[in-house]
Amino acid sequence: MNKTLKQAIALALCSSLAWGTASALDLKGVLKDAVNEQLGTGSKTEPTPANNDTQSNASAQDKLANINWKNPSREDEIAVGRNVTGTILGAAPLVNDAQLQQYVNKIGRWVASQSERADLPWHFGVIDSNDVNAFAAPGGYVLITKGLYLRLTSEAQLAGVLGHEIAHVVQKHHLKVMQKQALLDAGTSFLKDKISKNKLTQRAVSTGAEISARNLDKSAEFEADSMGTVLAARAGYEAYGLAEVLQDMETINNNDGSVALLFQTHPHPDDRLAQLSLVSGDQMDKISGGKTLENRLVKLK
Amino acid sequence: MIKKHILWLLTAFACSQAAAAETGVALKADQLRADTFSDAKVVGSVNKNDAVEILNKKGAWLQIKSAGKTGWVRLLTVKRNNTGGNNVAGVVGVATGRSGTGKVVSTTGIRGLSAEDLKTAQFNEAETKKLESYTVNADDAKQFASNGGLSSRSYPYFTGSAQ
Repeated sequence: MNKTLKQAIALALCSSLAWGTASALDLKGVLKDAVNEQLGTGSKTEPTPANNDTQSNASAQDKLANINWKNPSREDEIAVGRNVTGTILGAAPLVNDAQLQQYVNKIGRWVASQSERADLPWHFGVIDSNDVNAFAAPGGYVLITKGLYLRLTSEAQLAGVLGHEIAHVVQKHHLKVMQKQALLDAGTSFLKDKISKNKLTQRAVSTGAEISARNLDKSAEFEADSMGTVLAARAGYEAYGLAEVLQDMETINNNDGSVALLFQTHPHPDDRLAQLSLVSGDQMDKISGGKTLENRLVKLK
Repeated sequence: MIKKHILWLLTAFACSQAAAAETGVALKADQLRADTFSDAKVVGSVNKNDAVEILNKKGAWLQIKSAGKTGWVRLLTVKRNNTGGNNVAGVVGVATGRSGTGKVVSTTGIRGLSAEDLKTAQFNEAETKKLESYTVNADDAKQFASNGGLSSRSYPYFTGSAQ
């Protein structure tokens, strides 16, 4: 297991190079055939690992083992996102404050209801880390750090931040990267030894956790800023919440360790603000009458 | 003699601080307003690419000075120069990926939740269940929104083209 994880990490680190190779192979049709063989029929009979402690673990593992990476279902997506989220929670647990967690879920769920994927079972959480960051995982999982939450001064700002993460889920930004990884592994394994579908998923999921620590395309981040701003405005909030948070982030010294990962995985806030300005044009001015709700923002205990 | 030197240094420092007002450039043409609301009196205007001086911040508004006129604009009208605290250009370059590699090679200061932490983390079932226990359904969320005076509005996604 440890070895597999290490391999997955190594693979993920050089994945951009590997994808180049994969597309070259794909042109020859070799990869395509291999992928079809590994994933196309979606064998549901593959045994699940025997070392599960509880039934719920077994069923979660079962779901993960049978993910159709070529064309993941909604349930597949949720199973993957749950695993990625649980892994991030393994690095930083939830802040132990039920009132805060429920509050963030109310705001997040309301903003998500304004999106095209209102039907997902959305989950939101504040994690106990002084880092300034937020994470999204497939299927409707969103985490925000305590470090970022403490910088917020209104509910509209919270809605903007959650809107950005919700947009990543709606657009399946992370899922698409994980799919590429799984399909690449399927092709590569065909050229060497057959590997089990369960192993494919383990690799893809560990890539998923790693993606949270790695950069998506810059364009995906700009798109999430733009969509997130509109989602918060649709929810009745002042449209500048996310922009205000980005402006605040500009003031954090780049040498500050709390923004190291954020600045490693996202374009710099001033670029994000400039892009948001360009993409919104005069549409931002047409949004009026939104609320900021400074007083309703729950303070941390 | 030494005292005189110190005084000199202090004066020089004070001057340099005063000279280092924050500056920026207008991303688009906009009107300068007398106050921080969208129907406040128009007191001037800026053109795209005009150099501006940033005097003050208030919520999503910036008070700027351009071509002798002072007024408030929305924060997306201006791109600020020299942001990021006490950075030298090289640091900003690395953090923004402008240095060419797009990767942060090393950072100083206290590390937070690092890429390494996330790579080596193990799935935590108990915390995941706890997260799911806080889930709120759509109706309850709508009720809470309504309590805060929020109602759903229909706005299209932005359609402007990115750079």
